[in-house]
Amino acid sequence: MRNWTKFLAGLAAGGFVLSATAALADEIRVGITMRMVSENGQKYGQMVMDEIGLINEAGGINGHQIKATLMNDECKSDKGVANANKLIFQEKVHLLIGSTCSSVSLPIVDVTAKAQVPQIIPHSTNSQITQKGSAWVFRVPVSGRFYAGVNAKYVGENIGKKIAYICAADAASQNDCDAMQAQMKSQHGADPAYVAQVQEKEVDFRTHMQKIKSAGVDGIMVAALAETMSRALIQSYEAGIGTDVRRIGSSSASNAPVPKISGDAVKGVFYAAAYSNADTRPIAKLFNQMVKDRYGIHAPDHDFSQAYDLIRIVEIALNNSDLKLTNSSLAADRTAIRDAIANVKNYQGLASGPISFCAAATPQCRDGNKTPVLIAYKKGGEAFETEVLARVNMPEDFGL
Amino acid sequence: MISFITNFASAIESLAKIHRLLPWVIAYILLLFLPNLITATFGEYYVDLANRCCLFILLAVGLNIVKGFCGQVTVGHIGLYAIGAVTSALLAQNYGLPFWLSAPLAILVTCCAGLVVGLPSVRLEGAYLALATLGLGESVRIMIAVTPALGSSTGIMMIPAPTIGDYVIESFDHYFYLVMTAAIIGIYFSFVILNSSTGRAFKAIREDVIAASVSGINVPFYKLLAFVISAIYAGLAGALFAHMPPGYLHHNNFTVIEMVTLLLMVVLGGIGNIWGGVVGAIVVTVIYDQTKDYYFYQPLIFGITMVFLVVFMPRGIGGVIEQAIVKRKFIEKHEEQNLGTS
Repeated sequence: MRNWTKFLAGLAAGGFVLSATAALADEIRVGITMRMVSENGQKYGQMVMDEIGLINEAGGINGHQIKATLMNDECKSDKGVANANKLIFQEKVHLLIGSTCSSVSLPIVDVTAKAQVPQIIPHSTNSQITQKGSAWVFRVPVSGRFYAGVNAKYVGENIGKKIAYICAADAASQNDCDAMQAQMKSQHGADPAYVAQVQEKEVDFRTHMQKIKSAGVDGIMVAALAETMSRALIQSYEAGIGTDVRRIGSSSASNAPVPKISGDAVKGVFYAAAYSNADTRPIAKLFNQMVKDRYGIHAPDHDFSQAYDLIRIVEIALNNSDLKLTNSSLAADRTAIRDAIANVKNYQGLASGPISFCAAATPQCRDGNKTPVLIAYKKGGEAFETEVLARVNMPEDFGL
Repeated sequence: MISFITNFASAIESLAKIHRLLPWVIAYILLLFLPNLITATFGEYYVDLANRCCLFILLAVGLNIVKGFCGQVTVGHIGLYAIGAVTSALLAQNYGLPFWLSAPLAILVTCCAGLVVGLPSVRLEGAYLALATLGLGESVRIMIAVTPALGSSTGIMMIPAPTIGDYVIESFDHYFYLVMTAAIIGIYFSFVILNSSTGRAFKAIREDVIAASVSGINVPFYKLLAFVISAIYAGLAGALFAHMPPGYLHHNNFTVIEMVTLLLMVVLGGIGNIWGGVVGAIVVTVIYDQTKDYYFYQPLIFGITMVFLVVFMPRGIGGVIEQAIVKRKFIEKHEEQNLGTS
């Protein structure tokens, strides 16, 4: 009997402690799920937390503090969904930020739509995220459908139509690869000269490179995550493919490890992104300096800028929301935040173009940034340099 | 604590004497109230956690059959889980089959895959078998990753939740009834197998393959049977995972890390101990969930736990409790004998 009493007492105490962590009134609860497994991944997450901390230090949002909870989803959908469920149903967040990876954001869109929680995406580019028709999702980065359009236009007009593709198996790269092939076909009637499907963390590209060399292509598109892309770029030169064959990167070519690992092999590689650290605007220069001072990053990539822009958009939306912040007003507060994000128009931040949202649950309304910028590496290594080749405003229904 | 467990075990034994299914039926009825208790005490989210615990219990109990009972070192179990999940998802999505048809068909396909994974065990043992099964398990994941028809990099989306008539089983608590039922049935049949002639053959092979063979046990047959039975559990767990809302599968859910986590559950609970596997699955899932905020240290914590377990508690939680119960019974019997002689 005594054992049962102890067990029940323990259960009740545990329940009290756990339930006490949730549902605290008078604070804005923000849940974040991101890929916190790589060095840069951790810094993106840390930047989001630091920026929220600075908002709180400055007095919060209309006098309310933001309570941010950051969780690691390891770029795995089951972990991401579990995080989203915990943040929504246990932490009772007003807003969910996440995720880094498209394969995690895709299922979370369904979770937030069902639970009616606004979700704002910092990095995922897969076009299907906003094509699911959820009224609760917003995307800060440029969608993959725009990247492919601008890349294909530049390649077809300036490089040639005989393109080889190396496509890694992660969701974003695969999407970039497929979209680029589709755009080359629709814009220039060009079929791929060679396509290689490779593993997400493939290490040996030599066989593919030899085949690509003998195919005599005009360009090679390497769609892969940073480390994999770097290996492919280096091995393309080792295989004897000259500089006359242009290397095209997927959106992750903007990630800082690419020029660091690739060294000279990155020179001339171009890619579409949402931010260029070669941007000469004062806001960009200040941002570059801040990231360097705070995180020791020589030149921030667009995932840093997107995380920063996201927090500014969240700040604007929260300031414009009429929040009650009581336990009973949770659903109304979530709706108010969603509507306030949908009302963000022409936000001019670090992004390559203005970010605007609207109320309809369509990709036209929910893909905020429609201006990809085409960037090329001038120099690789730790002190890499980039230049802007073009900045293109895309029609909102492009690629749909 | 040990006396509580001993008393609890003897209470269950006395119930089983009335009817062997009685303790299971009582446990099942009590567990039906668990979602309400969890929601009232901890919150709705913890029912979702309980669902994940049930999935891992199925996987751990299944793995225990081939590894714990039969002594075959397999690291490809996660591949079977993936096959069950993807098969059921594709059957439901591409052919419109309801969960109640797609899941059994997925189990059937996984059984065939289990046979393939088990084939190396006929000739290989120990580390060599581990390597062979690891290769097979990982090749399943890679195949999913590079095959668009299997979801490829984008994954399989919008997998329908199970339905009964017009009713969709999609809330945490209703899904709990489904996965909990599967887990209870899985545990029950695990005991049935363990106490049958098949279970004894498995144990004989585990203890000494040559002695088992000399005793007339068809060693290759029973080794393959262990893999097939364990595949049934993996296939069912996979199907339940695939249809669990929001119904999304990605090849990243089936990596070597997931396999190591599964092994940790079995080792922590106690290899060859059914209840140990259950406890291991619950403990690892809950600890993982509760340490989410310390994501930076999580792999370190899990790695160190694994090393310490193997060094200091090779028989796991189940083994330690079992040993303590035996010791206690021995002392009690010894004391009774002493009282009798005095």
